Amino acid sequence: MNNITSLLARAFFMSTPLILGALGEVIAERTGMMVTAVEGIFLIGAWGGFIGAYISGNLYLGFLLAMVCGLMVALLYALTTVYMNQHQIVMGTAISILVTGFCTFFYRVIFGIQTTPLKVEVLSTIQIPILSQIPFVGKILFSQNIITYLAYLLIPIILFVMNHTALGLTLRSCGENPEAVDTAGIDILKIRFAAVAVAGCLGGIAGAYYSLCNVGMYTSEIISGRGWIAFGICFLGNWNPVGALIFGTVFGVSEAIGVYVKSLGMSTMPSELFSALPYVLVIVLTVCRKDLRAPNKLGQNYVKEN
Amino acid sequence: MGKNIIVELKHINKRFAKVLANDDVSMVIKEGEVVALLGENGAGKSTIMKILYGLYHATEGEIFINQKKVEIRSPKEAMACGIAMIQQHFSLVEAHTVTENIILGHCKGKIDFTEKEKEIQALADQYHFDVPAGELVKNLTVGAQQKVEILKALYLNAKIIIMDEPTAVLTPQEADVLMGFVRDYVAKGNSIVFITHKMKEVLEVSDRIIVLRNGKISGTIEEGEIRTVKESELVNLMIGHDLEIIKAPSMTGTDNRKNRLEVEHVSLRSKDNIPLLDNVSFSIKEGEILGFAGVSGNGQQELCEAIYGARKLHAGKVILDGEEISQLAVKERIEKGIGYLASDRYRYGMISGMTLSENILLKASYLKNWVKNGIIKWKELNNYTENIIQEYKVKAPDHEVVIGSLSGGNQQKVVVAREVDRGEKLIIFDQPTRGLDLGAINYVHKTIMREKSKGKSILLVSTELSEIFALSDRIAILYKGKIMGIFQNGELSTEQIGLLMAGYELKEA
Repeated sequence: MNNITSLLARAFFMSTPLILGALGEVIAERTGMMVTAVEGIFLIGAWGGFIGAYISGNLYLGFLLAMVCGLMVALLYALTTVYMNQHQIVMGTAISILVTGFCTFFYRVIFGIQTTPLKVEVLSTIQIPILSQIPFVGKILFSQNIITYLAYLLIPIILFVMNHTALGLTLRSCGENPEAVDTAGIDILKIRFAAVAVAGCLGGIAGAYYSLCNVGMYTSEIISGRGWIAFGICFLGNWNPVGALIFGTVFGVSEAIGVYVKSLGMSTMPSELFSALPYVLVIVLTVCRKDLRAPNKLGQNYVKEN
Repeated sequence: MGKNIIVELKHINKRFAKVLANDDVSMVIKEGEVVALLGENGAGKSTIMKILYGLYHATEGEIFINQKKVEIRSPKEAMACGIAMIQQHFSLVEAHTVTENIILGHCKGKIDFTEKEKEIQALADQYHFDVPAGELVKNLTVGAQQKVEILKALYLNAKIIIMDEPTAVLTPQEADVLMGFVRDYVAKGNSIVFITHKMKEVLEVSDRIIVLRNGKISGTIEEGEIRTVKESELVNLMIGHDLEIIKAPSMTGTDNRKNRLEVEHVSLRSKDNIPLLDNVSFSIKEGEILGFAGVSGNGQQELCEAIYGARKLHAGKVILDGEEISQLAVKERIEKGIGYLASDRYRYGMISGMTLSENILLKASYLKNWVKNGIIKWKELNNYTENIIQEYKVKAPDHEVVIGSLSGGNQQKVVVAREVDRGEKLIIFDQPTRGLDLGAINYVHKTIMREKSKGKSILLVSTELSEIFALSDRIAILYKGKIMGIFQNGELSTEQIGLLMAGYELKEA
């Protein structure tokens, strides 16, 4: 019982950055923009978050810097794709690779080569009064850190904006038929640009979650494909915040299982096999998922005639 | 005539890279009138209106609204001036509801959808539009989708509505309803600009006609002259010369010829099991043209592809000259002598970036004509292509130019030439004149009649009833993948065909 409680608590803990990243992706993709720079955004978030926190000694300043770093990468991506009409997949991949080099290089420039990795204290959990006392559930859901709570709070907010406001209607229309938005007199490019920027902020925070909540340090392998997993979750969740929550949790569980098996220290089975679980899961679930309804113009740039 | 001028365009020039799309165009739109903009494709009629609607920006020229000079930089500013435009290809979000589409961009903050839906429904009812405000646009018929576009304009209290080729996608009955709306709307003191290339509706509905040719105004028919103007005069203004008249086909002598193509109980389903063709049976004799009338999207393309072999039948048989070909691959059917001119030339008919010769070779690369031991016989192919250029009067310098650089009509001539050559027994023409100008249409029609006289069987699909009437021996009507009936040409009136196209049985009517 105790094991299961901690496993599930761990699952929600690990699902947070994936959900955050996927939510950003949902917002952008509903306007038609695939944020394929998401891996780079996660990585620079982890990097910026660590540097901010290490230098200032304040984790929240770390998250702030991570957000700014994520935003910067997203703006570069949005500028080249939305306004300069470059291919979304090519541009995003190129930017991600650039970010990898950038982070490794400047980490060494700032801190030199360390024999033992530099560390910061990880973000502490907040026990929610009363609720955290509920047996089983309290330990799983109400003993998490502030970022996790915020991620869950974001879901109903995004849902409401998407489905009940003029802004949401515009967002959704951009991904379905940009021309209709254009003829309605709305600056579609501005909307797409802003949506990618929001995805950048959320992705930056998600990246920092790994360095500041999970391990308390930065390595160049810290993200290792989790940006892409968030990208996949957006697809699997049918471009819906609730779907992002469901599949984000599924992947959180699979990550937690990997960590749990490792802690058992089994000699018969290599624990790396379980670490691979989320990646295998992406492929299996994507193949199995059938009734996907992608935004009609997803991944297609809009070029104004005049 | 006492009507106030609302909009005045003065000396508008519009240049796209090297092409001059509008050349010194000046015109006015008055209160309470229907102005028709008549012209061929590429005459610049849509361009001038897109400038007025702020989608394009004029290279030179001025726009006055109510005698005041204005700059219209975006559709938003046009709408603020009371101008709305309904594009030829609707700008609707198909996955959204009617209401969502109409309020897009014209609402703020939190939306009360039930309230808005009521408001939109009231507006629709006021104009007797049968449009459910809560329905998803993709579930509506094309005619209803057009009404949603009109409602968008009405919702904004537009005083001038520009309609770009509004009847192109409608059944004759739907077109009548639209004309009714046009009349009502201008009677209230509003104005409508009607962009079209169809002479008949121009004469029916407009108060004034402005004819454009090659980006310039080639003639204006004023209010007083409209009742006396002849169609031939309008044609002359549109294309600069007269048209040859195609003789209607003779209906005699086909009865004792043998059947060339027989289609028996053919059914076809989509991936999600929606029937696309439902128990379709018909036959075409040698030297006969069977015309398929119908609103596009009622199974015409699927039928052509089923006969050609691009789709697997769910049930039924296709028989050519007594031999079943239902199981044969496309390649084998081409070898049997079936030519297929697909409706979407750009997608299925040609490769824009390749030369004329290469496009001629396109569907015959595995036939012995042009290939020996896997090597293309360029010399013969190029000579052949040169012949086609001469014979079909293709406006192209030689066989080496890229087909994408030709005009639509000339591209079509090349593709038609290829298919006519492939189709020794049967040629399928799916909307052969869609988007072509009158001269090219005339040429394609002549080619079809010529091939018919050679004894080839022809399956003609068209959404233009006039084309069906002009060419076919017999007429079949497709509605939702079913044949509503097959009739001798001349047996039915336009109205009866219209009813069949809309899915009504004739007995009920």
